[in-house]
Amino acid sequence: MKKILTTCEFCGCGCNFYLGAEDDKVVAVYPCTSHPVSQGKVCIKGWMGHEYIHSPERLKTPLIRQGDKFSEASWNEAYKLIADKLRQIKKQYGSDSIAVFASAKCTNEENYLLQKFTRAVIGTNNVDHCARLCHSSTVIGLSQTFGSGAMTNSIPEIGNADVIFVIGSNTSEQHPLVANYIVKAVRRGARLIIADPRQIQLTKLATIHLSHRVGTDVALINGILNVIIAENLVDKEFVSSRTEGFEELKQGVAGFTPQKASQITGVPTEKIIEAARIYATGKSSSIIYAMGITQHTTGVDNVMSCANLAMLTGNVGKESTGVNPLRGQNNVQGACDMGALPNVFPGYQAVTNNELRQKFEKAWGVELPSQPGITVTGAMNRMIDGDLKALYIMGENPMISDPDMNHTEKALKRLEFLVVQDIFLTETARLANVVLPGVSFAEKDGTFTSTERKVQRVRKAIEPIGQSKPDWKIITELSSYLGYKMDYSSPSEVMNEIAKLTLSYSGISYNRLESGGLSWPCPSPDHPGTPYLHKEKFTRAGGRGKFFAIPYRPPAELPDDDYPFTLTTGRVGFHWHTATMTRKDWAMDREYPRGFVEINPQDAARIGVRNGAMVKVTSRRGDISLQAKVVDTIQEGLVFIPFHFAEAAANKLTPANLDPVAKIPEYKVCAVKLEKG
Amino acid sequence: MSEMKIVNKAKLIEFLENLTPDFEVIVPWRENGNLLFGSLAYAKPEIDFIDRPLVPPKEYLLPQREELFTFTTKGGEIEVEAHLNKERRAIWGIRPCDLYGIKTLDSIFLSSYIDTYYQARRENTILMGLNCNEPCGMGFCSSMGSGPFATDSFDLLFTDLGNRFLVEIGSKAGEDLIERKANLFTTASDEDKGRSNELEKQCKQAFQRSVNLDMVKAALSKAWDDALWAEESKSCILCGGCNFICPTCHCFNIEDIADKYVQASTRVRYWDSCQLGGFTQMAAENTRKTQAERLRQRIYHKFSYIPANYNGVIGCTGCGRCIEVCPGEIDITNILGRMK
Repeated sequence: MKKILTTCEFCGCGCNFYLGAEDDKVVAVYPCTSHPVSQGKVCIKGWMGHEYIHSPERLKTPLIRQGDKFSEASWNEAYKLIADKLRQIKKQYGSDSIAVFASAKCTNEENYLLQKFTRAVIGTNNVDHCARLCHSSTVIGLSQTFGSGAMTNSIPEIGNADVIFVIGSNTSEQHPLVANYIVKAVRRGARLIIADPRQIQLTKLATIHLSHRVGTDVALINGILNVIIAENLVDKEFVSSRTEGFEELKQGVAGFTPQKASQITGVPTEKIIEAARIYATGKSSSIIYAMGITQHTTGVDNVMSCANLAMLTGNVGKESTGVNPLRGQNNVQGACDMGALPNVFPGYQAVTNNELRQKFEKAWGVELPSQPGITVTGAMNRMIDGDLKALYIMGENPMISDPDMNHTEKALKRLEFLVVQDIFLTETARLANVVLPGVSFAEKDGTFTSTERKVQRVRKAIEPIGQSKPDWKIITELSSYLGYKMDYSSPSEVMNEIAKLTLSYSGISYNRLESGGLSWPCPSPDHPGTPYLHKEKFTRAGGRGKFFAIPYRPPAELPDDDYPFTLTTGRVGFHWHTATMTRKDWAMDREYPRGFVEINPQDAARIGVRNGAMVKVTSRRGDISLQAKVVDTIQEGLVFIPFHFAEAAANKLTPANLDPVAKIPEYKVCAVKLEKG
Repeated sequence: MSEMKIVNKAKLIEFLENLTPDFEVIVPWRENGNLLFGSLAYAKPEIDFIDRPLVPPKEYLLPQREELFTFTTKGGEIEVEAHLNKERRAIWGIRPCDLYGIKTLDSIFLSSYIDTYYQARRENTILMGLNCNEPCGMGFCSSMGSGPFATDSFDLLFTDLGNRFLVEIGSKAGEDLIERKANLFTTASDEDKGRSNELEKQCKQAFQRSVNLDMVKAALSKAWDDALWAEESKSCILCGGCNFICPTCHCFNIEDIADKYVQASTRVRYWDSCQLGGFTQMAAENTRKTQAERLRQRIYHKFSYIPANYNGVIGCTGCGRCIEVCPGEIDITNILGRMK
């Protein structure tokens, strides 16, 4: 049996473990004791989540649609068809009528190549990926306040924090090895503040739990800021030497007393005051957040509020502090870093910046488009309008992951040509004209970048299943059918090219990665990588962090007489997103074979529903039926549905209400009604 | 009882390599600080080490994923092909905790019901133990009577005396191995044996972790309703790790993987975990709904049910791996210490 060290394919913790491969099958998992994040530990997905690799349902050949059915095709046939159609559509409607969705699950090399293909071969900046749906608020919010949209500190540092403030993150289930460091810190005496409308597992270890109403995060944090200023707990030295905009912030939150915050959030005044005092007086306080604050029409505001809080108390640019967004996917950080975004090249270099664009034009040998492209959320509307004719999707399942499923289905069906590259025939792939079989993380080489900006190796353990090909190979081969040569003998060569064009990755090479991961910025071959950011100055132009006075805006769709409940959506620790992989793992499927809706006992009694009974949940977009899970860990008037289950798809109910800047959907708040059956 | 032998450390690899035509030789190897078991064919063995691989050698007898048999239906007839693994293997460097673990697994899989898959592997596996001269990071085997030196359940047992190994012969199979390269072995002197006893004594005195096993046994009948189960399981994230890396845990699940594209099905056995909710899920109910109940199950299975059903053999070897592997920082010695 071979034992191959690799990086986990699931979440942004970036754990490493060994895969045991025998007879070209993945048959075992061995924790990696020397890894600074996983430290010999693995969550259930890491231990038992890889069975999908050998599922008989794996796509083994390209498929071409013939009417209602798919027939198997050769790679040559598939490539030829795609090249012909894309060429024809480009000629007829222009480059911007084509869009590409990259993949937060695929490697850095693959995302780099796909955005290069979109820009150099198709000739459009219409490339985006699912970061739009999760942390686009973070990228924008932290760029504006700090200058860089990434997690400021490293995961192990959390273990030494004095105070940890977790807001909008069910860390134990979604980032288990980050939760491990939180547990370690608490056992050392750290105080833990949780802000979440639901009681989560970490609540059992918390010093204080703030159960605020969904979508009132700005109000909550403004109240906390108000207390910190009023009680003179501001880090004046840090504020004066490292920031700008304090006066505007002070004015902005002057009226936001804890009483006012309490009115809006529903959190008792004393708790808001207590939380403020704990956070502000910690020797090193760390904010950890995730979807609970990003997936709102006020997502950017929520993130900027967290930045305000950290700067006000001098908790940035030091060990075990910071503002720490937990990136969900194994490589969503990397996909962003690689420029799979409509407005930037790799390394967040703006497409509109002439000098930077010319650098890429020189490197890639073609003229490149200068207008920012569309987002994944914007693309849906453009498809319905008929402006977008063709879409090439790699490793994403928008049918289940995008909001307002009926809208998504309508949009995708309007396309003239849809190509989906995936490892299974997902709900989205079923709508495609051509399906290309990619491979799992165990069948290719590459790198992933974790939530703490750490670039790590993914190593091939078994051969591709059937006739499937590594995704990077597919992109380069398709490119040659369209007349643009992408000649790489290995992903390592792709990384070398990335390093030449992206300052933060300049010091990264496969040779160096053999001795472990490197956290960017890593600007030179002898640079050791950067555990925490903004040490002497912020990366923002001018070097100072900026405060913003954030007004409170309520969510876009609140409950009313017709739809009296608030729906919030999320995940469970056993399934992964649209569950394409995990529903083929018996251990995950056994834990949660089907969807459910969490209901408070009082609400359940009122509508006459008991635990396990079927409930019909309806929103203005659609309805689903699923089993009730009556729990007292959720507020009255609030229900929770995980989005993993296609036959009870939470996103049939969610609205495509977007943050105006980030274009992230408000998955976390909408109005529903509940009925028996 | 054969006499004890001595082999020079420098000659160990020669001894092991000599076995390779007839056995797959498994040894501990280290990569980037990680100690794992691997085949001598591609792994350079680690000979001087204090710790033990995080995943115990039980997986050579009870694999993480094991294809038991394949069956096809051709024209109405069912054809079954069993996959019993009878390949010969010899594992070197097994710590006493893991030898004890295999002893426990033997009791479970080879008693009134013989598990033919386990049996096929077990009958073809030679166990070469390696005593511990220093306690490992989390270990408390001295409290459990399963270490730091082994007393039985080995074919050969090595003790590191510095530049040479003392070798005890535990079976005919072990003796046969020595015969293959008899020229490498000399007879052990009284001094050698004395040195070994010294090392064992020193090691026993150096343990940081301990458990009062008698007190635990006495407390079992009273601790069932204690608040400690809910408290200690607060941070359990249901990863299953404590079961997977445990030398005595052996619960498994069986799945049939039906491949309609080739009209064949494979029955596969997988490691399972009693810490998962689905483990005891039945048609209407889950008999262990809370993490507190599942943690309690793990402890009672090891300290009460296994000893009761299998002649006093304990389901815990004190290897400490469950402490190392837990993302919730749950420590079995704390739990056992609270049982009064």
